[in-house]
Amino acid sequence: MDPYSFSSSAAMAQQTWELENNIVTMETPQSSESDAIFYYDESAQAKFQQDKPWLNDPHYFKRVKISALALLKMVVHARSGGTIEVMGLMQGKTDGDAIIVMDAFALPVEGTETRVNAQADAYEYMVEYSQTNKQAGRLENVVGWYHSHPGYGCWLSGIDVSTQMLNQQYQEPFLAVVIDPTRTVSAGKVEIGAFRTYPEGYKPSDEPVSEYQTIPLNKIEDFGVHCKQYYSLDVTYFKSSLDCHLLDLLWNKYWVNTLSSSPLLGNGDYVAGQISDLAEKLEQAEGQLSHSRFGPLIAPTQRKKEEESQLDKITRDSAKITVEQVHGLMSQVIKDILFNSVRPSHKSQPESSGPEPMVQS
Amino acid sequence: MASSSSGLTFKLHPLVIVNISDHHTRVKSQSQPPTADVTSSSSPAPRVFGCVIGVQKARTVEIFNSFELLYDPSTHSLDRSFLEKKQELYKKVFPNFYILGWYSTGADAEESDMHIHKALMDINENPVYVLLNPLINHAQKDLPVTIYESEMHVIDGIPQLIFVQSSYTIETVEAERISVDHVAHLKPSDGGSAATQLAAHLTGIHSAIKMLNSRIRVLHHYLNAMQKGEIPYENSLLRQVSSLLRRLPAIESEKFQDDFLMEYNDTILISYLAMFTDCTSTMNDLVDKINIAYDRHSRKGGRTAFI
Repeated sequence: MDPYSFSSSAAMAQQTWELENNIVTMETPQSSESDAIFYYDESAQAKFQQDKPWLNDPHYFKRVKISALALLKMVVHARSGGTIEVMGLMQGKTDGDAIIVMDAFALPVEGTETRVNAQADAYEYMVEYSQTNKQAGRLENVVGWYHSHPGYGCWLSGIDVSTQMLNQQYQEPFLAVVIDPTRTVSAGKVEIGAFRTYPEGYKPSDEPVSEYQTIPLNKIEDFGVHCKQYYSLDVTYFKSSLDCHLLDLLWNKYWVNTLSSSPLLGNGDYVAGQISDLAEKLEQAEGQLSHSRFGPLIAPTQRKKEEESQLDKITRDSAKITVEQVHGLMSQVIKDILFNSVRPSHKSQPESSGPEPMVQS
Repeated sequence: MASSSSGLTFKLHPLVIVNISDHHTRVKSQSQPPTADVTSSSSPAPRVFGCVIGVQKARTVEIFNSFELLYDPSTHSLDRSFLEKKQELYKKVFPNFYILGWYSTGADAEESDMHIHKALMDINENPVYVLLNPLINHAQKDLPVTIYESEMHVIDGIPQLIFVQSSYTIETVEAERISVDHVAHLKPSDGGSAATQLAAHLTGIHSAIKMLNSRIRVLHHYLNAMQKGEIPYENSLLRQVSSLLRRLPAIESEKFQDDFLMEYNDTILISYLAMFTDCTSTMNDLVDKINIAYDRHSRKGGRTAFI
């Protein structure tokens, strides 16, 4: 019995899956050369600051690279806030048209939605923290800010847009990152978005294609008014070779947590909120659709402009909620079969005590 | 190094491990610029030092986070004022966390480390020392992180403090686990199709179950060998295995079955509603299209404009 052959077949399974889904792995950080990203070249950064190539092109920065450490810190901080928005700053550097985020730290302020310049309170903290960091060997400058939108998606609200526009005037290069910790836990993948605003009055030449996400009704106006004032950047992640090695080994320890996680239990409130929001949207959509005799005369002209009707969006949202729920249920059923169907008997085939749907009296 | 007898259980969060590793990589790459010859990087990387913070409840010590500290090699001590400044900053953002100890990188604990350890004792009477070995050794299957405590032992008649190793478990919050997973396996970050999401979710569970399976097989093999007499009996292990087996099935009560079925029915109901919505939307589209195609009120008059 070779226990290690199982881990290699797991690796093979992962590779086949990756192949089938066209996963492009980042530069394989096996050699120490790729750790070069961690090297902070002071003179090159100073020169870049002097050149200011972003002044001519509002769409200059196109990509963001986030380090494993920064991502972990931001997500943990965002989640620890619960339903309260939290914010913090990110440190890093630039590299051509990419902004590289090396580290992040939290700021002791809360609730940015109602305060336009919460950063003013945290200036003292920021200055002290940056100073101590430089002493301890972290040489990078502050290169952006992040905050959380617990449960309502990754986008910039009106206040966020004005804050970011201000930042982009005085603190360039600056990046805005939004994290949704609730959706992260519910969907099982990290919900994160990186944005930069356009300067006042600038009209983007082409409509950027952004991934559709469902926005709750009470926020949808705020989203709609401002969504054309900023664009999102591609986010990729990187880690050092040591990180890679450690994370691989970590898997040996936290596979238990993977198996024992129960997304259904943790996110009951959020799912209930989503469903009630969906119900409201449905009522709204009902008002818009009409199939009266005069409908076809009025409707066709409007139809061509809209890409998707309200009802289509609602269908997509409901599908998303369902998929997440079904995934959660699958984990529960698997655990039930694994741990509850064992009988200390001599039966050759343990009968599964899996639930018989809707037949139990 | 004897093993600890203090009875404290240690829980370590992955964030701490990634923090220490990042600190080390940073210092290493800064001291050896990438333009230098690769072969010259064989010189040992400088050690880094820092502080770990977290929560201690009764007998459980949970280490959540860490930050860097300045080390003065001449006096073999950590910069105290720096530590206090940093501690204040972290207290503002994480008011629940206390200083639990310190960390460093290296292959093994050294004599000079005891000096630093003693200096920290006035903040926390029993500090922990987390040591990370940054040398990547692919043959090693275990995490190169060790946790040391200090204990008073009488050696040669003189009571001395020595380091003793303690065991620890990895503890994660759900969000932490997802982001660690995300970065470790570089899963597709966009929505993808429903099939991709399903594949990702099931692959995760599948790998976890494979691990469970391999661990059980190891145990099984071990027990078999014990039964055949190849290995001497070890009663404590046998007791543990027996108590583990007695815990299965995990839950078996009427109430659990009821709740479980209710949850199952809820989920199926949600998918039923979603399908309903989908059908309604499709029907709506169909009706619209029929209305356009067979327009009864076209300007040309007559019943159908297009056939």
